[in-house]
Amino acid sequence: MNIDKFTDTIKACRFCFMCRHLSGVGNVTFRECDTPRVRAAMIDGITRNPSEISNADFIRTVYSSDLSAACRFHCVNHFDENGLNLAARRDIVEAGLVPGDVSKLAARLKERAQAPKISGGKEEVLYLVDFLDDEVPSEAEAFHKIMKKAKAKFRVAEGCLAAKALRILGFDSEAKPAFEAFAHAVKASGAKLLVASDPAVYDALKNDFPDLGVKLSAKVAHSSEFISSLKLKYAKKAGKVYYLESDFLKNYNDSYKYPKVLLKQIGAECVPFGTNSEESYTCGEGAVVLNELRPKIVEDMAKYVEARADNPETDKIVVASPYTRARLSQNTKLKVSTLVELAASCL
Amino acid sequence: MLVPKKNYMFEMIKTELTDAIGDDYVTTRDSDKFGHSIDYYWIPEMWHDRGKETPKPDFVVHPGSAEDVSKILKIANQYKIPVVTWGGGSGSQGGALPVYGGIVLDTKRMNKVLKIDRESLTVTAETGIIARHLEWAVNKAGFSTMHLPASIACATIGGFLAHRGTGVLSTKWGKIEDMVMSLEVVTPTGEIINTLPIPRHASGPDLTMMFLGSEGTLGVITKVTLKIHPQPEARKFRAYLFDDFHTAMSAGADLMRSRLQPCAIRLYDETETLTHVKRVFGMDIGKGAYIVFGFDGKEEIVDLQMKYAREIMEKKYKGRDLGSKGGDLWWENKYKFFYPGYMFRLPQAFGTLDTVADFAHIESVYWAMKKVVNENFPQARFIGHFSHWYEWGCMLYARFIFEGKDVPADPEEAAALYNRVWDLAIRAAIANGGVINEHHGVGLKLGRYMKDLYKNSFPILEGLKKTLDPNNIMNPGKLGFKGV
Repeated sequence: MNIDKFTDTIKACRFCFMCRHLSGVGNVTFRECDTPRVRAAMIDGITRNPSEISNADFIRTVYSSDLSAACRFHCVNHFDENGLNLAARRDIVEAGLVPGDVSKLAARLKERAQAPKISGGKEEVLYLVDFLDDEVPSEAEAFHKIMKKAKAKFRVAEGCLAAKALRILGFDSEAKPAFEAFAHAVKASGAKLLVASDPAVYDALKNDFPDLGVKLSAKVAHSSEFISSLKLKYAKKAGKVYYLESDFLKNYNDSYKYPKVLLKQIGAECVPFGTNSEESYTCGEGAVVLNELRPKIVEDMAKYVEARADNPETDKIVVASPYTRARLSQNTKLKVSTLVELAASCL
Repeated sequence: MLVPKKNYMFEMIKTELTDAIGDDYVTTRDSDKFGHSIDYYWIPEMWHDRGKETPKPDFVVHPGSAEDVSKILKIANQYKIPVVTWGGGSGSQGGALPVYGGIVLDTKRMNKVLKIDRESLTVTAETGIIARHLEWAVNKAGFSTMHLPASIACATIGGFLAHRGTGVLSTKWGKIEDMVMSLEVVTPTGEIINTLPIPRHASGPDLTMMFLGSEGTLGVITKVTLKIHPQPEARKFRAYLFDDFHTAMSAGADLMRSRLQPCAIRLYDETETLTHVKRVFGMDIGKGAYIVFGFDGKEEIVDLQMKYAREIMEKKYKGRDLGSKGGDLWWENKYKFFYPGYMFRLPQAFGTLDTVADFAHIESVYWAMKKVVNENFPQARFIGHFSHWYEWGCMLYARFIFEGKDVPADPEEAAALYNRVWDLAIRAAIANGGVINEHHGVGLKLGRYMKDLYKNSFPILEGLKKTLDPNNIMNPGKLGFKGV
């Protein structure tokens, strides 16, 4: 089983409580099972009695994790309960035990992941407009505005996020060919740089591709890195903002520095949000499609964030992730923009 | 009467609970029941590790208010169903285990900070809040509870109240019971009561203290007002190495007798100094007994207190100064040991034999416990440190550790070995002037020693329990009280 590769994590996490305060889902469901400790202990039981993997409640719990990796980031030895959970998902898929809601979502994603799209032209920069359900069209518009100001040429591409979501759901065997098709299309396009606004897409390109042995012919940057490299002059200062870290950029990519570089460039005065810098306030960004699987939990996570704002109706909240932007905008009164939107508004 | 699981009464009771607090907050899912079947006590961990089924609750409920708790307890009384209150589930004594099934009442939904009073310097909060979340909220307002135990990230504030927890700064700021102003409690029969609003008075016996340490046997604590303090201007530490544990203990006791006000003192015996200090704090200091202490508050006062403390350590007891770095490393790494990779883990068998005694007895307690463990279990290691100090004595945080190869594979035999260590060590502590516990509580693990400890006063506690909880629904079988 895939979980057998995580024996040390299972043994480390199954009785450990040291990160329970960072359980994004556990903090809104209040369920013990929504903590790394209990998930690891449940999976520990499965290693001894593999038939337990078919327990519908256990499967539901595995698919309820927000996968923020805040626990791994916090742990002094960085034990990877996140990776263990993903391995359990792969085992559930391989055992043919995928629950109906996950199965339906996966079918939609498979359809979308099949054919990567790259617009025509010879520009070396490919901007990945990979937003599921087109929830944040303003993100792409903002990027376009910045490129216009910079007189930078780019093409658009699509096709990574659905495959990333499939991988998150445990469908590696479907994700890999989709990544390969995307890599092939990128190579054929002659592009030299892939710019991703969605941290999930950035993480897919940086980590999932090499992990699955898929080679990319182009370099990869998050939009914050690319935009900050343009060294634009901004007409307005962003002023006082609360920046909510991205799971993928912080916890999966070693506190990727460019969001803060860009915030500095646009004259943002970053104020600490909430009470601490350890909790994930992304509403399940790490699980990519948690809003589709567990909408009530995600709504509660958004309200949890709102409750921690100093002035919920007036604070200027900035996020890296269009996913988080959409969840907070849909479920709270918070005024939220993405980094790209904020940068565009300062031009 | 336990819940009759195999007939429709089970569903009837579930319907009543659901009707009382809402469908989303009553669960019988396997994953929820499993999650509440193992806490931080070695026995259920070992039981699970050996593939044995751990006792599970019939229902897990998540009340959102004292009123919800009241409704649940009234239903439980109606059907005489055991109710076990569960906060973070991080107790090491088995106090929150649903050993008779029934209802696990998880308090974590009651997690609001209700008021920070900047005039009286108090915070009022619901007790299901994780202590770290409360501390963060108080920090944001510029204060601290000064309750900073290693379990701060996982335990609820209610858990600390229920078993009289202690944090690393207790030497100056007190145990949790010293921090409490007042409580809201739901009694076993469902009445919502409040104890007096202030902790010092001459208005009769102290109900607040009666509920503290009652471990869910006398009701559910749903709200607390705690003292808070301004963040100190400075907090400084210093460490020393002494030739032997006795000299270090004498120096530590003298520091307390001097009536200086250290916020923390920690003394490691020779064995733990050799292992723990190097491995966890990264200090290679050689043989001896390591002691660290600190002061906090106005910097000028901190520096002055440190000056006098250093005189005690250096002039009177000839301690080797490890400097402020030797102390800061302890502070920076104070929780590190509890993370996997440092903490003991199965198949090892381990336990914390914590006790407390006055200075006249604490060394005898240490030697007596060490002797019984060494003589009866030569395969086990015994280590200890002294981590919470008072004007009159200190707490011994002793540990025993069996390597996996020395622990029987059979779970019943492993449990018997484990219990035997406690029997001998705890009784040695009591015989030499100690008590059965200082800050982890009694729970299931130590309940059998309560009569040894309290002797002919234990019936008073039993009488209290019977009066408040006539149907014995609240955490039966814990704290030495009778089971179902």
